[in-house]
Amino acid sequence: MKMKIVSHVNVFFVSSIAIMMIFSSFLSSAWAGDTLIVAVAANFILPSQELVTMFQKKTGVAVEATYTSTGKLYGQIVKGAPYDLFLAADEKRPGLLYEKKLSDKPFIYAEGRLVLWTAKQELCGASDWKKVAAGDKVRKIAIANTLTAPYGTVAMQVLKEAGLWELCERKFVFPQTVAQAFQYASTEAADLGFCAYSSALSEDGRKGCFYTIPEAPPIMQAACVLANTGNRKAAEEFARFLLSPEARKVKERYGYR
Amino acid sequence: MGLKIKITKKLPHFEVDVAFTCDDGKVLALVGPSGAGKTTIIRMIAGLERPDGGTISYNGEVWFDSEKGILLPPQERSLGFVFQDYTLFPHLSVFKNVAFAAQSKEEVIRLLKLFDIWHLKDRKQHEISGGERQRCAICQALARRPRILLLDEPFSALDANTRRNMRDELKNLRKQVSIPIIHVTHDIDEALFLADDVLPMVNGKIVRKWMLQFMLKERTGMGTHDDDYKYGFTKYHGFDRSVLYDSMEIEKWRM
Amino acid sequence: MDLMPLYLSIKLAIVSTIILIVLSAPLAYLLVYFRFRGKSFLEALLNLPMVLPPTVLGFYLLVVMGPKGALGRLWEAITASPLVFTFAGIVFASIVYSFPFAIQPMKTAFEKIDRRLLESSYVLGLSPLATFFKVIVPNALGGVAASAILVFVHTMGEFGVILMVGGSIPGETRVASIAIYEAVEALNYREAGIMCLILVPISYVFLLIINRLTRSNLYGS
Repeated sequence: MKMKIVSHVNVFFVSSIAIMMIFSSFLSSAWAGDTLIVAVAANFILPSQELVTMFQKKTGVAVEATYTSTGKLYGQIVKGAPYDLFLAADEKRPGLLYEKKLSDKPFIYAEGRLVLWTAKQELCGASDWKKVAAGDKVRKIAIANTLTAPYGTVAMQVLKEAGLWELCERKFVFPQTVAQAFQYASTEAADLGFCAYSSALSEDGRKGCFYTIPEAPPIMQAACVLANTGNRKAAEEFARFLLSPEARKVKERYGYR
Repeated sequence: MGLKIKITKKLPHFEVDVAFTCDDGKVLALVGPSGAGKTTIIRMIAGLERPDGGTISYNGEVWFDSEKGILLPPQERSLGFVFQDYTLFPHLSVFKNVAFAAQSKEEVIRLLKLFDIWHLKDRKQHEISGGERQRCAICQALARRPRILLLDEPFSALDANTRRNMRDELKNLRKQVSIPIIHVTHDIDEALFLADDVLPMVNGKIVRKWMLQFMLKERTGMGTHDDDYKYGFTKYHGFDRSVLYDSMEIEKWRM
Repeated sequence: MDLMPLYLSIKLAIVSTIILIVLSAPLAYLLVYFRFRGKSFLEALLNLPMVLPPTVLGFYLLVVMGPKGALGRLWEAITASPLVFTFAGIVFASIVYSFPFAIQPMKTAFEKIDRRLLESSYVLGLSPLATFFKVIVPNALGGVAASAILVFVHTMGEFGVILMVGGSIPGETRVASIAIYEAVEALNYREAGIMCLILVPISYVFLLIINRLTRSNLYGS
């Protein structure tokens, strides 16, 4: 008799736990419907985290962000990834999405700059970035993937124009995103890194020094609301927020115009 | 001169405690039921196991001395050992097996022909019969020109016919080499046939000859059964535990 | 069509396989034939790379092999060049990553060898070292083959660890698996597809070669 009761209790426990789990998964997907999912280019991680917090506080809408290189995100969106907004590091890719009718009209949300950053003090005093890059003491230079990361594309461009691409070819290391390029440089795995200006202004960035690259065009970063967003109202609100004065203050702090 | 040993070793169920000698050119048989410690003794002679105490020496050369802390590894004792199931190297042919420790190629050829396995020289061990493998193992051991030959139940895994043939061959072998040969077996007939000295053993000790005499008298018929031993010996408890060695005069007991 | 990544993958796989076989044979010998304190800890340590996610392993390797890490500094002291972001670096990472796959089959093969074969060899006059090469290894070739195959295949397919430690340098550390990944990311599906198509038969041919080489030495065991 005892055994029967025990097994009945077991069955009750197991089935109630199962029901609760199924129930809560429905709940969370109901939640997910209200959460904004934003695809953000890697260089914009730090300002984006602040902006997301501000937005959540202001509107009560939950926001989740994914950070990786623009090219990767573009590839995912083209394949149907469920993002609501795309914050790219170039104009090209949002433009392409708009052409393919996968997004609303893109708008510029930030203007970034490419810099050459180093954590090594002995590399800090040179006259310009070209001298440093070509120097003998420099063995490894980190450049974000030139095909999928716009900051990497620009870096390759200026190097080629300065005639340094072939010269320094043996030194290049290609992390997947511009944020990783900064990480390689700040851990000194690479002597120099072509990074976003905002990295140079970060807490770790201030421990090193950077060279401006006047030859590099400013990096116009465009964003767009994606066509298959399930949350158009919230997405458009976030897009407006990105251009608001309070957002501008945050961006400026990280070196974006 | 020859092999001189006096050793002890504690085993799970009893203690091995023996002393004996075996001169050049003599065959000594260690006889007893399985588990009597015979294999352990020749493994200790070979250097594959370490006695707890005592000494082992050959022609004055000390191989083991527990007090002085001498322990010569098997490689340097220069002996031949034929294992119970004549372990040959499976990755080598008969020829290469015999040649493993041989001094010269001619020696290998001579031995193979002597033991009539020359025609098998390129075969692998799984391609030849039990008796042929046994002969190969003996050749392998002899190829080294060992100073002592140790045989651990060499014929126990063979059928009766082959066993008889091998016994004859071993008897012939004695004429070829004049080294001490220690032969472990549970077959009393085999021991009597081949050996000059027979040491009966039970539970790690050599038992007095009169116990063996008694047992032989009590035996009926041919063949050997371990039970005979056990039967014979359990009737006499408290057999002598000292390490005296009594050798038997075979002639008296040959039927 | 750039074949360099394929060449790099094969080169990495061959180099890693050879080094690992040479390294793991004595270690397997130690683990099978000796008893010592801390043996189980050593075995667990050697198996660790198998249970760690590649990114975790890659992260720690990056720290240790980097210019501030113990290994990176040692390498630099010896060769005056960095360890991370070099071919030598990804070889090292591959070796750590594939170690458990090399040592396990060899251990099993060594364990299967009858101890009396070794005793026979000692009695016949061979030292333990000579016995290792003349008796143990020839009778464990099945295990050696299995190790080689596993390591080769494992290394060809390796991605996460090499990505973190290699830096995707064309001609040095951009192996096929990374090149394919980057091609896909750049939406260059055609190039990715071609590389995949070439990779499969090449791997297959190598497996056949390893198999054939060791089969001819296997005995009726």
